[in-house]
Amino acid sequence: MNRMYKRQLRRSAKRASLYIVITGILIIIILPIFFLFSFSFMSDYETYSEWPKPLVPSLKAEFKLDKEVDGYHLFIFNRSENDFMPFGPLSFHDDAGELEKLQEFVKRQANCTLPVSKIREYMHKADSGTPVTFNLRKKLLANYVLFFQVVNGAPKAVLNSLMVALATIVISLSIGGMAGFAFARYFFKGKNLLKLSVLFVRMFPAVSIAIPMVIILGRMGLYDQPLGLSLVYSVGQISMSIWITASVFMSIPVSLEEAAMVFGTSRVGAFWHITLPLALPGLAACAMYSFIGSWNEVISAVVLTQFNPTFPVVVYKALVGSQGQINLITAGSVAQALPAIIFTLIIRKYIIQMWSGVKV
Amino acid sequence: MATLELIDIAKRFSKNVWGVKKMDLEVEEKEFIVLLGPSGCGKTTTMRMIAGLEEVTRGTILLEGKDITDIPTRDRGISMVFQNYAIWPHMSVYENIAFSLKLRRMPGNEIKARVQKTADMVKIGNLLKRLPGQLSGGQQQRVALARALAVEPKLFLMDEPLSNLDAKLRVIMRTELKAIHQQTQATSIFVTHDQSEAMSMADRIVIMKDGKIVQIGTPDEVYFKSANIFVAGFIGTPPSNFFTVKCSVENGGISLQHPNFTLTVDPHEFKELQEYRNKDIIIGARPEDILIVPKESAAFTEKVLVVEPQGSHQVVAFKLNERIVKMIVSPEIKVRPNDTIGLAFNVQRLHFFDSNTEKRIPLGREEL
Amino acid sequence: MTSTKSFLSLDKESKKKMVPYLLIAPVIIYYFLFWMFPVINAIVESFKSVDGVWTFDNYLYIFKNPVFYQALFNTGFIVVFSVTIEFVLAFGLALLINTKFKGSSIFLFLAIIPMSLPAVAVGAMWSSGLATRGWLNSLLMTIGLIDDGGKFLFLAGGRMATMWLIIIIDAWTVIPFVMIILLAGLQGIGEDVREAGAVFGGTKFQILRKITMPMLKPTITTAMILRIISAIQIWLIIVLLFGFNRLPVLLEQVVLNYDQLGAAYFERIGLALSVLVALIVSAASVFYLKVSGSFEKEAVQNE
Ligand SMILES: Nc1ncnc2c1ncn2[C@@H]1O[C@H](COP(=O)(O)OP(=O)(O)O)[C@@H](O)[C@H]1O
Ligand SMILES: [Mg+2]
Repeated sequence: MNRMYKRQLRRSAKRASLYIVITGILIIIILPIFFLFSFSFMSDYETYSEWPKPLVPSLKAEFKLDKEVDGYHLFIFNRSENDFMPFGPLSFHDDAGELEKLQEFVKRQANCTLPVSKIREYMHKADSGTPVTFNLRKKLLANYVLFFQVVNGAPKAVLNSLMVALATIVISLSIGGMAGFAFARYFFKGKNLLKLSVLFVRMFPAVSIAIPMVIILGRMGLYDQPLGLSLVYSVGQISMSIWITASVFMSIPVSLEEAAMVFGTSRVGAFWHITLPLALPGLAACAMYSFIGSWNEVISAVVLTQFNPTFPVVVYKALVGSQGQINLITAGSVAQALPAIIFTLIIRKYIIQMWSGVKV
Repeated sequence: MATLELIDIAKRFSKNVWGVKKMDLEVEEKEFIVLLGPSGCGKTTTMRMIAGLEEVTRGTILLEGKDITDIPTRDRGISMVFQNYAIWPHMSVYENIAFSLKLRRMPGNEIKARVQKTADMVKIGNLLKRLPGQLSGGQQQRVALARALAVEPKLFLMDEPLSNLDAKLRVIMRTELKAIHQQTQATSIFVTHDQSEAMSMADRIVIMKDGKIVQIGTPDEVYFKSANIFVAGFIGTPPSNFFTVKCSVENGGISLQHPNFTLTVDPHEFKELQEYRNKDIIIGARPEDILIVPKESAAFTEKVLVVEPQGSHQVVAFKLNERIVKMIVSPEIKVRPNDTIGLAFNVQRLHFFDSNTEKRIPLGREEL
Repeated sequence: MTSTKSFLSLDKESKKKMVPYLLIAPVIIYYFLFWMFPVINAIVESFKSVDGVWTFDNYLYIFKNPVFYQALFNTGFIVVFSVTIEFVLAFGLALLINTKFKGSSIFLFLAIIPMSLPAVAVGAMWSSGLATRGWLNSLLMTIGLIDDGGKFLFLAGGRMATMWLIIIIDAWTVIPFVMIILLAGLQGIGEDVREAGAVFGGTKFQILRKITMPMLKPTITTAMILRIISAIQIWLIIVLLFGFNRLPVLLEQVVLNYDQLGAAYFERIGLALSVLVALIVSAASVFYLKVSGSFEKEAVQNE
């Protein structure tokens, strides 16, 4: 009995230390991402006037309105000071122009809607001599909306990015998929060389390819065009597509095709009716992988676009050029990261499978 | 003193999943024990607990009198042949066999001699330089064997080592393994789900079902004195045939009534059956204990369904009360499908089982 | 007649042999047009002056520029340490996940998020975090590890501090990627070969060294080569955090010359520099393959 107890104790201790380590690792992984998201929901006031910065964005803002001899005063609750702090103009009066300015200020700084009529209402209450406090719901997505409003061409850039991604998927999946099938089903000379193309292609810096491509695409009339960009992206994506599709096709037994051929279909028919449907989820994963690669790419796009930048270029320029507050930029980053994160999580199984399929 | 003692060991994987529910076993020195049972009955789990690859949930394991229950695998002094061989593909045959010897810091020339000796024993002495990838399945199996033998272990474990070989090679390896055992005299535990393999190799067979031992005995014991219906049905090909009969005692004779036949047995010889008066009992009849007899002396007659010639004998199947019954007859007897034949039992060799517990009804005469 | 027939059947046979080549032909053509062609173009142009005269001047300019050697050293330093650290940690993680503890699939799920993040998002994340009034200092203050006077000036450190910062950030981003490759390899190694290692007297460490790692070697080589290639090309995160010229690295200099200095003369310098980077990348890859003995193995297999 004592021994069983000891054994259990040892097991529990082992497990506890394992989970402590894992929790530590998870914190390191998740924390920065958490803060990226957290910042993207913060108002300017939270970002710049609270110190130390709050770790989580608040869902509301708390205000206090007070009347003094020199006029009305507006205060906002500052979480790090744990007190109301002056907010907006030193003082204001019942003047339409002033109140509209204040409304705009609250919207910009605190991401809250405070209509002039409401301000007046609170002013009346404060007239009695006791300060009024009130809560306003914070508009969480305000930074996202603002990012697309203030950053030049952001909505159009998203559209460009989507078009580039789509074209990249079509090109790399069709060309890479054919090669991947050849890889999985046939033996041919140069197979090993092709297998290593993933490496070769990456050895020459992408930006250095982009530079001569400016001229080449210019001659083709595709410079600063989504299609031109996708032609460049596809170089890298094709090689990844070969690896992924090869591992997908390898996982489908040839015997299934052969069985179909025994029952009278042609080789093409067998591919069409048996292999392709079975490969579909894997091919979809491959498409998503191409999407991620193309959606995230910055530097070739910086070189190869002028008036039609992709979304990452817009965020990059906003960040490098400090074209906006950090909370705004994080909102742009999250907007850019979200599709990539979601797709990666969907296709994680295939990413692992791809790497188990082909090796140097 | 037994070499290996398992005292009330059990393994629970999760709340309702038991690998082994209860296991008590003593293995004598130099003995060749076979764990036999259908897939999923806990043979591998037992083996892995002995090897220390799986922690026991309950119980004690003694090896040469020493408690090894909580000792790490590498210090247990056992060796093992894995089902999929588990030979290391990046090491040559020589390195595979020498691995454990090197870890023990055995002098180089001794290692060389030992590797050569064991390799010769399993007939791969000429393959030492090869990588496993360049060997056939049978040769890889021999490497796994040599690697395990080179250790000169206190206990030699084999988990279905022959199951990946083709049928013919399997039978050859059976014989070779037995010969190697006679030569090395290493105490061995061999796992298989193939009853003929178990019968042909074991000193004693441990039959398992659902994580428990059902019967321990020599091949003859488990065949001729099967402890219950499960064992009687599991051992032997084709398996035993079972008939549920009603037992009644009339005018001093015991009569066993089946819808298709009635057997009358001697009340003194089978006196234990008297206790089952007016109850059901189950008769187990091995295929060779059902006989073709002239119709006039037959217990019942039936139409032949199929005949399967096997060379040395033939298997004749017929339908009795909607169930297929198989019997073995000598090849000289000419039967064809749809022939009507007279049938009888070799009453002396029949097994009787309690219909509720499915356990053997022990007959006093068997002890004689 | 007979000859025609045999000719036809031969044709069919060779047609069949053609199939894989037809399937890979588009890739070859594509690589030729959109990789080989620009690469050759870049190389050729790097040997020409703005007026189209053949010259070594572009390269001479680079070799005479002390920033190039700085960039070379910085890049080398970052590559050596980041690839090593990434490999060790990623391997540890992969081994951990491969034990298939309860919750390991959720852990894997969360652990691969960083590899999906776009570079720009990573930049925004860390520049918002490492700023003096960023979230990292806020966090440290909130949990009481530092007070307001003790704020870390993460982004204002010296050269070494900055390089280590980059190495850590790069590791954070890239470890999941390396881990996935190693995990895929580990999953291809059966549990039983490692168990056999334990049965035949190996300690956990001996099993790792003598069985797991050698069996994983092709995977490790793949991961290392891919990492070396992209580590040498590190630049974006540096520029996002520090701007140009704060911590010169090779590729940053390429972009700087090409995209920032804005003169045709510098574009050619950028091209020449990128040719040098490609040379360095290939040399490093070959060097790694040689050191790790991958060539020997192939030679053995080819025998
Ligand atoms: N690692 C495990 N986790 C959970 N259940 C297991 C594990 N290993 C074996 N089992 C279960 O334990 C039982 C016995 O398995 P095993 O010992 O492998 O059977 P055998 O070798 O006799 O075929 C089976 O029901 C199996 O499903
Ligand atoms: Mg088993």
